[in-house]
Amino acid sequence: MASARRLKRVAASQPGFINLKSASDSAGSASSRRKRVNKNKKKSWNKHSDINDIDDFLEDVRHQERTTGGLLSEKSDDSLFFLDIGQPKKAEQKEEEPVEGKKRKGKVSRPLRIDLILQHDSLVQPPKDVLAYQQPNAKKLRRIAQKAEQLAAKGVVPRRQKQLLNRRPVDRTVKKAVTEANNNPDREYYDIWGQESKNTADPWYLQQTGKKLVKRPEKLNEKPSVLPAVEVIAPGGSYNPDFFSHQALLQEAHDIEVKKQKEEDKIARQLAVNRADTATEETVFNEQVEGLVEEENEEEVALDEEEEDGAVGAIVLADKKTEKKRKREKAEKIKEQQRLADRRQTDQRQQLFQLRSIKASIKQQAQKTQAKQIKRKAKQEAQKAQPRRLGKLKFQPQDMEVQLSDELAGSLRRLKPEGSVLKDRFKSLQKRNLIEPRERAKFKRRLKLKYVEKRAFREIT
Amino acid sequence: MGGLQKKKFERGSATNYITRNKARKKLQLSLPDFRRLCILKGIYPHEPKHKKKVNKGSTAARTFYLLKDIRFLLHEPIVGKFRDYKVFVRKLKRAYGKTEWSAVERLKENKPTYKLDHIIKERFPSFIDALRDIDDALCMAFLFSTFARTGKCHVQTIQLCRRLTVEWMNYVIASRSLRKVFISIKGIYYQAEVMGQLITWLVPYQFSHDHPTDVDYRVMATFTEFYTTLLGFVNFRLYHSLNLVYPPKLDSKTESELKDEDDYAMNSESYLEKLSALSASLARVVSTAEEEEAQLDQFPVEGEDIETMEAREKEEKQQEAQKKLFEGLKFFLNREVPRESLAFLIRCFGGEVSWDKSVCIGSTYDVTDETITHHIVDRPNVDKQYINRYYIQPQWLYDCVNAKILLPVEDYFLGVTLPPHLSPFVEEKDGDYVPPEKLKIMALQRGEKPAQEDEEEEGEEEEEEEGEDEEEEEDDNEEEDEEEEADEKNLKIMEEQRSQGKSLKVKVTPGKVKVENAARLEQEEKAEEKRLAIMMMKKKEKYLYDKIMFGKKRKIREANKLAAKRKAHDDAEKSDKKKKAKTRK
Repeated sequence: MASARRLKRVAASQPGFINLKSASDSAGSASSRRKRVNKNKKKSWNKHSDINDIDDFLEDVRHQERTTGGLLSEKSDDSLFFLDIGQPKKAEQKEEEPVEGKKRKGKVSRPLRIDLILQHDSLVQPPKDVLAYQQPNAKKLRRIAQKAEQLAAKGVVPRRQKQLLNRRPVDRTVKKAVTEANNNPDREYYDIWGQESKNTADPWYLQQTGKKLVKRPEKLNEKPSVLPAVEVIAPGGSYNPDFFSHQALLQEAHDIEVKKQKEEDKIARQLAVNRADTATEETVFNEQVEGLVEEENEEEVALDEEEEDGAVGAIVLADKKTEKKRKREKAEKIKEQQRLADRRQTDQRQQLFQLRSIKASIKQQAQKTQAKQIKRKAKQEAQKAQPRRLGKLKFQPQDMEVQLSDELAGSLRRLKPEGSVLKDRFKSLQKRNLIEPRERAKFKRRLKLKYVEKRAFREIT
Repeated sequence: MGGLQKKKFERGSATNYITRNKARKKLQLSLPDFRRLCILKGIYPHEPKHKKKVNKGSTAARTFYLLKDIRFLLHEPIVGKFRDYKVFVRKLKRAYGKTEWSAVERLKENKPTYKLDHIIKERFPSFIDALRDIDDALCMAFLFSTFARTGKCHVQTIQLCRRLTVEWMNYVIASRSLRKVFISIKGIYYQAEVMGQLITWLVPYQFSHDHPTDVDYRVMATFTEFYTTLLGFVNFRLYHSLNLVYPPKLDSKTESELKDEDDYAMNSESYLEKLSALSASLARVVSTAEEEEAQLDQFPVEGEDIETMEAREKEEKQQEAQKKLFEGLKFFLNREVPRESLAFLIRCFGGEVSWDKSVCIGSTYDVTDETITHHIVDRPNVDKQYINRYYIQPQWLYDCVNAKILLPVEDYFLGVTLPPHLSPFVEEKDGDYVPPEKLKIMALQRGEKPAQEDEEEEGEEEEEEEGEDEEEEEDDNEEEDEEEEADEKNLKIMEEQRSQGKSLKVKVTPGKVKVENAARLEQEEKAEEKRLAIMMMKKKEKYLYDKIMFGKKRKIREANKLAAKRKAHDDAEKSDKKKKAKTRK
């Protein structure tokens, strides 16, 4: 503390220094004893010499510079003082008012206090960054540039650039082609059927590395159905149809509907409750009373059962055959066989005379088989046009697109399209056996739903 | 006795088939991937003949594939890609979960993709094979191009489909290969003949989609993926066959004419829009004038006679005439008509077409153009009418194309009840019922010109004539038969008389010069030949012949019945109209 006070005194005694704090604590500091220290070494000198007064002084100088923009002692009087002559500024203020009044009546808009606090209030310019103006190694770089210029003028390319030039350019386009999607609207096409296969590499290598395409079996190019890809709608489906063709189409649609209706009716009939099966008062009473009322014929039934038991128990044992009987049976058997053989022989002999009829019958049979063959072939042909059973579900033909007579539009402008082409295409694919008919997968809940009353709701009820 | 007991289901059909689930496991793919693979490779499920044997005794309905097909699939490189994709998705999910954005970026950059080019080449070894199967591809592309970009499928797919369909339509225009059009309640059917193949496709009406829920969009998208690839390659080949630039460029002349309308579309899209306007011709690789039509070469094949040759030649000529159907005509489309379809149609047959500037990009001339010959309108009346052009309803164009001639415009004027739009895909055999409208068109095709007035009656008369003609033919036959019978009777009588020993009454009469009608004679000769041929038939053939003839006659009878019914219907309508007119008066 004491040393600080002494320093201040020293600073204040300097010529032209005006101390801001006019403190008068100059007295009463001589009581402290001076300590003797060696200051022959720089380290100890630094340690023991007191520089607070110089610090204070410099601090004060900086403070003055910050607040007033320079030392107060060096400023002219005019800049420090002004002559107080009442309030001459009123007139000026009045002049200014209307301008501000336009903007806003009442309060004059002032910057917020917080903004004022945050403002940079020092009058000292911020120090300049020297490095911003000064390039490190400028001289060296300049020299290099000059040399490069000279060489360029001569036409000598530096080694590094040569290397760069010699390097193969990175093929970015190739990578892009790899990542191009199939549905890219700007994709390129080429003559796929014109060019020959360019694979000249060793076929064995290609095969082993899986790069060789396997030949497609011919059988796969057969279409699974003979139906055409686009089935044109019947003439009655015209937007402005001929009367008869329209009627024909309507008739067809009607027939289909009738068939469907019949099936539905059939199911309804089968599901209907049978009147005879319903409980009447009588049957209900009978049911209730069953077993309580004794019936007379029960005993009779029991008697019958006993008799039957007796009949079942008897097993008839056959008597043993006698020798004679056995011989006779054998002779009969042989005789019978002989008779049959004779018969067969005569039949065969007779067939010689039946040749014509046999021929006829054979012919008939052949004809029959041929007819059957033709029929089967025709059926197979017809099957080719039919949708096959390819999965769990059967193919369901689409509803027929039909417009009733009063729905028909007179002109193209008022035409209302019927059906969906998307569905038509989808069904066509199914009909031609290209895809199996499927159903949309049903949503299955994995966890059970739990219903909870909300508290707010519970309070009301 | 001895040997190992044969086990069941280890030989025969049971070993030729594999269930779907087993196949899926064999390929190590998930079900959607397996399904996609099958569609792309063209491998379809198969219904075995003996289900119980294949199903190892069970009769449950299952989906079966041929084992050989699945073995073939094992070699497909795309299978590997599918597995890669599965792994990619897993990694991506993981990176997202750990919020490692750099990893996400890196993974996305290296997203595995696959190409279908080799599959196209494999499934369609030649270009014609691909053309034969293009119907499906066209339908699908046209369908997807009309979808709204709302996330039912990738927007990119829709854009690609649109591009491909526009390319296709431009090709059809450039090659003038459209043959038939049919406006149905479902959509518009077109048929074109490209390189000798008849190609039919269906274009849905715009803005008509309610997305059905029972359609599997994933399956459809897979088909579309395959078909777009196919269609692109086919388009390329077709464009090169006509020396057109691919991807299509507008003709430099027309391109300068079409000013840039900045506010119509984004720069990236405006070129496609201009192409899809269909109003400009395309740039060619070798800019030459249209080649002269080559004379049809005549190579008389031995199996054919001159008649069929002539018929073919005639057909060829007719086709050439059809190609130039609208040449020299200038059309203007009002804003309420379907622009794309009509512009496509008109340009396919060489007409010039334009529309209001605000309807679409690419209009070439204004409504006020004096040289316009036909103005297509689909409203009851128009305020300002120009005197030197026809105001007709759009159906006229479609009917003209189907009839292959320019039909009289009177039936299609503004506010007139249109004649029915007949399907050009129906081909009547002789003896079938033919609607009178078609008969009328056929008469026009033959070059007969009905009087301008009371068209309807004319039509009816013609119809009657047709009917009469048929009847006459029949009558002729019968008459001939009768004559023959009479001759035979005479001969018989004469013979009887001779056998009875009576002298014949001989009389000399002055001879008459027989007027020989050459045509008549020829006909008679032919009829005679036919009769003899019938007589020479074997019993079996005769039976068949009689059966066929009976069927024909029955058909004719039915057709006549229908015609009579139609006439009655028309008469009833007419009388109704008259009555109404009277009551109005």
